[in-house]
Amino acid sequence: MRRASERLDGWRGAALVAITYVYFLIFAQFAFLARLGECGVAETALKTVMAAMAAGGVLFSLLTPALVIRFAAARLLRFGLAACALAALLSLAPLNYPAAIAVAFLAGSGLGLLTITVVSHLPRWAGRRNPVLMAGVGAGIAYFICNVPAVFTASPSSQALLAALLCAAGLLLPAEVAETEEVPAPAAALSFRLALLSFAALVWLDSAAFYIIQHTAALKAGTWMGDLHLWANACIHLAAAILAALLLGSRRVSLVLAAAVLALGFACILLHRPDLSLSASLFYPAGVSFYSVALVAYPAFLSGSVSLRDRARRAGWIYALAGWVASALGIGMGQHLGEVPVLFVAIAGAVVLVPALLILLHTRTREAAVAALAAVLAFIVWRMLPATPIAVPAAAAERGRQVYISEGCISCHSQYVRPGTADQLMWGPVQSLEQVHQQSPPLIGNRRQGPDLAEIGSRRSPLWLKAHLIAPASLSSDSPMPSYAVLFRDGRGDDLVAYMASLASRDSAQAQMQAAWQPPEIAWQSASADDGATLYKRHCSTCHDSGGEVRQQWAAQFNHFPKDPPAMHAYAGKHSRAQLAQVVRFGIAGTDMPGHEFLSEGEIASLAIWLSQSPAQPLPLTTETH
Amino acid sequence: MEGFVKNAETGFERVSPGVSSAAVHAIAWLTLGNTIGLMLAVLLVLPRLNSFLGEWTYGRWMMVHMNVLLFGWCSLPLIGFLFRVYGAERGVTAQWCRPAVWLWSAALVAGSCSWLSGESSGKLFLDWSGYSRVFFPAVMFGLWVVLALAFVRGVRIGPKAGWAAVTAKMLGLVILLAVPFVIYTASGPGGYPYINPDTGGPTGQSQLESSLGIVLLLLLLPLGIASIKMPTRRGILPLAWTVLIVQAMLCAALGRADASHRAPGQWLGVSSLIVWAALVPAYYNLFAWRAETRRWRTAFLAWWIGLVVSGCIFFLPGVLDRFKFTDGLVGHSLTAVAGCLTAYLAFILIELTGDYGARLFNATWSFYAWNLGVLAYVLLMTVTGWIEGAHPEFTFVPGIARNVAYWIRVLTGAAMLAASLDWMLAAIRMTGPHVAAISTAVDVEAA
Repeated sequence: MRRASERLDGWRGAALVAITYVYFLIFAQFAFLARLGECGVAETALKTVMAAMAAGGVLFSLLTPALVIRFAAARLLRFGLAACALAALLSLAPLNYPAAIAVAFLAGSGLGLLTITVVSHLPRWAGRRNPVLMAGVGAGIAYFICNVPAVFTASPSSQALLAALLCAAGLLLPAEVAETEEVPAPAAALSFRLALLSFAALVWLDSAAFYIIQHTAALKAGTWMGDLHLWANACIHLAAAILAALLLGSRRVSLVLAAAVLALGFACILLHRPDLSLSASLFYPAGVSFYSVALVAYPAFLSGSVSLRDRARRAGWIYALAGWVASALGIGMGQHLGEVPVLFVAIAGAVVLVPALLILLHTRTREAAVAALAAVLAFIVWRMLPATPIAVPAAAAERGRQVYISEGCISCHSQYVRPGTADQLMWGPVQSLEQVHQQSPPLIGNRRQGPDLAEIGSRRSPLWLKAHLIAPASLSSDSPMPSYAVLFRDGRGDDLVAYMASLASRDSAQAQMQAAWQPPEIAWQSASADDGATLYKRHCSTCHDSGGEVRQQWAAQFNHFPKDPPAMHAYAGKHSRAQLAQVVRFGIAGTDMPGHEFLSEGEIASLAIWLSQSPAQPLPLTTETH
Repeated sequence: MEGFVKNAETGFERVSPGVSSAAVHAIAWLTLGNTIGLMLAVLLVLPRLNSFLGEWTYGRWMMVHMNVLLFGWCSLPLIGFLFRVYGAERGVTAQWCRPAVWLWSAALVAGSCSWLSGESSGKLFLDWSGYSRVFFPAVMFGLWVVLALAFVRGVRIGPKAGWAAVTAKMLGLVILLAVPFVIYTASGPGGYPYINPDTGGPTGQSQLESSLGIVLLLLLLPLGIASIKMPTRRGILPLAWTVLIVQAMLCAALGRADASHRAPGQWLGVSSLIVWAALVPAYYNLFAWRAETRRWRTAFLAWWIGLVVSGCIFFLPGVLDRFKFTDGLVGHSLTAVAGCLTAYLAFILIELTGDYGARLFNATWSFYAWNLGVLAYVLLMTVTGWIEGAHPEFTFVPGIARNVAYWIRVLTGAAMLAASLDWMLAAIRMTGPHVAAISTAVDVEAA
């Protein structure tokens, strides 16, 4: 029973942290603002309303330390939760300007009271076994919930209602626990002043980035795009929160804050370019979750507080200054500058990282000095080496080969057609070993996660290669191949295409082998025109249908414009099914028509049958899966 | 990165900073490598997420993934072993062991930056290019200097070692001195191993040669850190070395040239390795190992037997033709690195550091998460490799079977990552600020 009670203690703490964070994230930061917009509170009035919320937050962050030693924890907790729930419910009503100020003040005050109370008493409520982990789980769950698509995309009223309901649920949690003797706290894992400065820098960065994303359409679209993206954000938040908690459990406050500032700072820099906002959205949630867990765990467990009052006082200062004031400053930065300046990222980074680096240098002077010295010496040697290849190859194909190497294409694509195997017909012809050894270095590879490319230039036109590198799924539906559109922002993509197009030996024996091929009789027997029609939609319509994605995008660049279905059937009428099967499998040399070597013989026969039949019914005019 | 473990009798026991930092750095690289591996597995099932990566494309991360696991996880524990064997943890060199480990990691950081920025030699596992092609061998040379100084000191003032041990160590130093130059040269664009014309892969002679190199290491390592517990079975010792010498002669007789695996000499040469499936376990049973190593030692020997047997089978004519370039051989590589080598490294680290290593690696759940995760991955890859052998399009043309296989790979990767995170967190727990307080206490007490 006692163990069960202890476990419940832990989850009580996690639940309270989760409720507090969900309320802050989904209501105070999000739904309330949207509700104000719906009620017509904007511009200066909005700033005043938000200032009222901040004033309530700061006031009760600083007042609550005096209250925690006079009133029972349960009572303060109930007051805080009730105030928060009431504010969320009141926000559902049509708010005029004064009412909005009052509700904002109530929400801020409730939040101030709630956060300080929860954090001050967390050592009691988070259990004895792994209290820091419980705090991290609570924060992680909160971020996870807020990123669940149904919650994230809900209406502001629904979000406010959810926040109120969670607070109400919090009221049902038994908050009184048996008084336990205050365990002497270990020394602070990081000095209080440094922690306060670090949290302020992190909250400032976060608030500015959040505001900018919210108010820049391109960034908002790039960072929160679709359910999959939201689920990914939710998982990143949860994983980062748990990891942070595990590290903080080992008192690694500096490490967690350093990781947070690196991730957040990097995200802020990426946000300068809207096209990189997707990458920013990978780092932003990780950074936020890292410091959010520390924001709870540090004052509760790691600040070296010697008493409840001391703990509450430190928590109060952190939430008042780093939480509310720095958040306001971050929003102000976002409003006025529209971006987080690199200089500010550097300053924030210095605030968080320099103390940690100084400690590291102090304790690991020899290691740092040796590493720095060796790095410099190696650099000097490297620059002095005559063989250092700096020169850029002149020919596009040569440069493209270097791109092929740089991008690690060898990890998924081989360049070796094995003689006497199915490779030969599919990807041939075979190269001699002399030819292979002449390459510098040979790019045989050891793995095929995609087709062999030794003779890719014989099988695919430069246009096909370019279109495929930019958007693989547009040509090969559900292809696992990543998009390399990034290479076409400069000349690398075209160089790579030139290199791949050069991988062609134009072997006549290979052409004869292909000309002699036809599906076996058994393939014809199992084939059907219906299957052919389905396969057409999947593999051919992107180029041949009038609405096909590739046809539309690259219309001006085909060297032979792909035939539309009626023209294809007319063409098919002049050729035998065996010839059509060869066209489907190996493509048409000198045109952009690729082969479909990866289709089975039965599938190729089905396509040939479908092609050779006169269209008795309207042909499909839309693509299905591209 | 100094490690401390609580010992019931003597209070806190200090673990050699060089060896413990090698262990911690190795685990950190393993965790990073596994994190990247899991990310890559997710990208295969959700290729749309590739756009997250921007310039740091899938292929570039793949290079980081493979190289940090090979040169970080697989190499650093062996550096810890070298510190122990050459006595570098004592005397004047003791203070330079940890910097040597940091230097190694610094080179890997430089390498990772270069791979992510698109610098590559185009040679798998010899991907040192540009600046890092100089930095990494320089770091290796720095490590060599530490070992050489320790060796000289050991010869001059250490306890009298047998001439065989001194000679072996000296020979080891000569070989180690060559490694930086070999790495630098082999990472250049010129030079490529002999090719099996029927597969494009390595020849049987080349496989035999590299396998015998590994066997040589496996036979040498116990001699450096353990004593023989079963004098009655000492005969296994000369037997193992004799077999190794005979196979080395066979390897030399095969000659270096492009050669098909269908040539009887080639596949028979590789098949001769099967003897080690029995000899290595017998050899390792000769030695007295710490009790804490039992779990990982058993795992290592089980993986070793599987690796040797499957390796011999995979090289047979007909079988290799079916599995070349497929998931099947990727699974085999994972048997070697994630199964056999990882178990071996955990076993060696526990042997080198005692309680400290046991606390890092001996949690039951992470032991099973790792080994069962690897086993599931290998079995899955063997099955998909078999399918791929007949239908090469299996891995890149969509289908339910392919997608399920990719998702299972994600799950097994997650299991492996979870295990490595457990080891990483255990390492952090034993090296965190709270341990620094213990360190001070120990130092004060010692004073």
